[in-house]
Amino acid sequence: MRLVRLVAAVMVATAVLGAVGFAQAKLKVGFIYVGPIGDYGWSHAHNLGRLIVERDLGVETVYVESVPEGEVETYIDQLVRQGCNVIFTTSFGFMDGTLAAAQRYPNVIFAHCSGFKRAPNLATYMADFYQVYYLNGLMAGALTKTGKVGYVGAFPIPEVKRHISAFTIGVREVNPNATVHVRWIYEWFNPAAAKEATEALIAEGCDVFAFTEDSPTVVQVAAEKGFPSFGHYSPMYDFAPNHVVSGQIVHWEEIYVDFLGKVKAGEYTAKNLANVDYWWLLSQKAVELGAKSGMPVNPVFEGALKAYIVDHPVFGRISVYDLVFVRLAQMGNPGITFDPFEGPVYDRKGGLQVPAGHWMSYDALITMEWAVEGVVGPWPGEP
Amino acid sequence: MRRVGPLLVERRITPPRSAVIGVSALAVVIALLVAAIIFWGYGVSPWQAYAAIARGTVGSRDGINEILRRSLPLILCGVGLTLAFRAQFWNIGAEGQLLAGAVAATGVALFAPLPGPWLLLAMFAAGFLAGGAWGIVPALLRAKLHVNEVISTLMMNYIMIYIVEWLIHGPWKGATMRGFAYSDFFPAAARLPWIPGSRVHWPTLVIGVAAAVAVALILARTRLGYEIRVVGQSTDAARYAGIDFLRVIAWAMFLSGGLAALAGVGEVAGVHFRLRSPTHISMGYGYTAIIVAWLARGSPLAAVFTALLFGLIFAAGDVIKVALRMPFQITGVFNGLILFFLIGSEMLMYWRVRLAPKGERWTGRAGSSER
Repeated sequence: MRLVRLVAAVMVATAVLGAVGFAQAKLKVGFIYVGPIGDYGWSHAHNLGRLIVERDLGVETVYVESVPEGEVETYIDQLVRQGCNVIFTTSFGFMDGTLAAAQRYPNVIFAHCSGFKRAPNLATYMADFYQVYYLNGLMAGALTKTGKVGYVGAFPIPEVKRHISAFTIGVREVNPNATVHVRWIYEWFNPAAAKEATEALIAEGCDVFAFTEDSPTVVQVAAEKGFPSFGHYSPMYDFAPNHVVSGQIVHWEEIYVDFLGKVKAGEYTAKNLANVDYWWLLSQKAVELGAKSGMPVNPVFEGALKAYIVDHPVFGRISVYDLVFVRLAQMGNPGITFDPFEGPVYDRKGGLQVPAGHWMSYDALITMEWAVEGVVGPWPGEP
Repeated sequence: MRRVGPLLVERRITPPRSAVIGVSALAVVIALLVAAIIFWGYGVSPWQAYAAIARGTVGSRDGINEILRRSLPLILCGVGLTLAFRAQFWNIGAEGQLLAGAVAATGVALFAPLPGPWLLLAMFAAGFLAGGAWGIVPALLRAKLHVNEVISTLMMNYIMIYIVEWLIHGPWKGATMRGFAYSDFFPAAARLPWIPGSRVHWPTLVIGVAAAVAVALILARTRLGYEIRVVGQSTDAARYAGIDFLRVIAWAMFLSGGLAALAGVGEVAGVHFRLRSPTHISMGYGYTAIIVAWLARGSPLAAVFTALLFGLIFAAGDVIKVALRMPFQITGVFNGLILFFLIGSEMLMYWRVRLAPKGERWTGRAGSSER
């Protein structure tokens, strides 16, 4: 009897120690960025997420910045050699390199941002802005006096096209005759080109601006001429406090903390990630509407937005200010009751893309090549 | 000749090899010492830093593979440039010529229904012709219209960059890339093999070394090589000797552009397996190759070694970035220091310093050879 108890005690002790030992097998997390962390855009935002992970979860992190797309595998090799057991790669162009590395290192957990290829040890994740762009579009539609809203686009890829279309839907919901004029700069980060594009749009008669580019250039150039604009990616309020109406802000830390928390808890392993895909939006708090965090609408523009009353098919007579918050609540709380691409949605060539009463599927959203009615300008790859 | 204290300083026209190698080695050592101060200032022990760099580069098989991989495009571009530079034709356009090769190779890989090894051969051939054709244009402009080749070759880089952008956003945008700006992947037969356990696409290495030997032979043993050298020494003398300036620089630029283009073929067929954004196909290899060729003093065989030196510098930069966790800008500072001292030390090679014999008098500025 005593022997049985002794054996049981040893077994329990072993199990407890084993569990503790496993939990203490420290995570070392590597991040690979495509740009410099000082870009005040994409890589900067991922790095803020990394710092919060380090602070809140107490895991060790390592990062490599400015990694060319074709070089990702080399850097993954180096991170694995240094003992990283979780690696995040944060650019679409890293996709195939990450997949190859995931096959080479089956015991390392990988997560790739913005891609679509997964494996037992490779998850995907994305925080998307299209709902926020729609909300910003509502405000832009109310603020334009010329009926022309300018948009400086980075690359004509589905992500940016989706955002411009969602933005345009917002603009025309409150201002049906307004148009969104697009200029492409073919760079993620190029302040000089962004400035040129903004000035060209001003010359075209645009008087409100939104953009996809990793610097506050568009905000600054528009503000010099006294035009309102919407910040992108990072909080841009401080660059023009009287002219930044609102904008898109990302919170990658929401995804990183959730993912790594589940890795720590043993829920995610290098064997069960084949179906793990984060597509996190407003309701998961991965993205935020605001000129800066906690300021969804710049108070400078509150009066103008409250004074702009529309006759809305769903809500009747409503100010755009109120409409923004009603829509934000519809999309921002669990149990989403509205989507910007709620049918019927027609492309600008007149084709019906989303039938009445339908929403777009995830696959349709991430491969979206068409432009909605109201978008003006070249649209490479338009079907 | 000039006396400085107990030393005699004398200018020489061509530095002996020992001076070139000795002064260059000294320059690198001084650069490493200055970089050590920066590492120390950043809070990293210089000993540890250099130990880590040595482990990550020359000290391990992975490191040596990494050096080779980073130097592959530089070997071909650098060898090609030595040919143009020997004709005193300042080809700043290797970047565009490299991309021309990548474009032609992609076209063949995606659209030519060729079997097995013929596909890769056709890719290299098409790439060579495309880069050569791209290189001939500035040669014609120079010979016929006196257009400065520094400007024309540089500007043609941008034209080729936009052609690549247009192709990947337009007609060659891959159906399987979900709207992103890449061409489709090449079929398996259009991919170069790697040295096992590495990512070194060895056929490009073989071609690069063979090209260096071939260019050395052309320069030393053929009529074209002789004419290139004469044109490089003096265009007037060349004209007087009846050498057709246009023909010579057109050939030099055809070969120079073609070799740079082979590097582009190697990059898309050995690394990326598709056409993608030009800044990711070539990370400025065509520009770095200018320094490769310049440090090699126009010798194609030496260019192989200076290309390897740059491969080493790049690989060391990666170690600094990843293993030592310094900001990526430090990599640029490190590379910059080495170049600064290498290029800055060049004038020293042209001065001979020796102890003055006892009793010799300062004779004024008699030998007015100093600058």
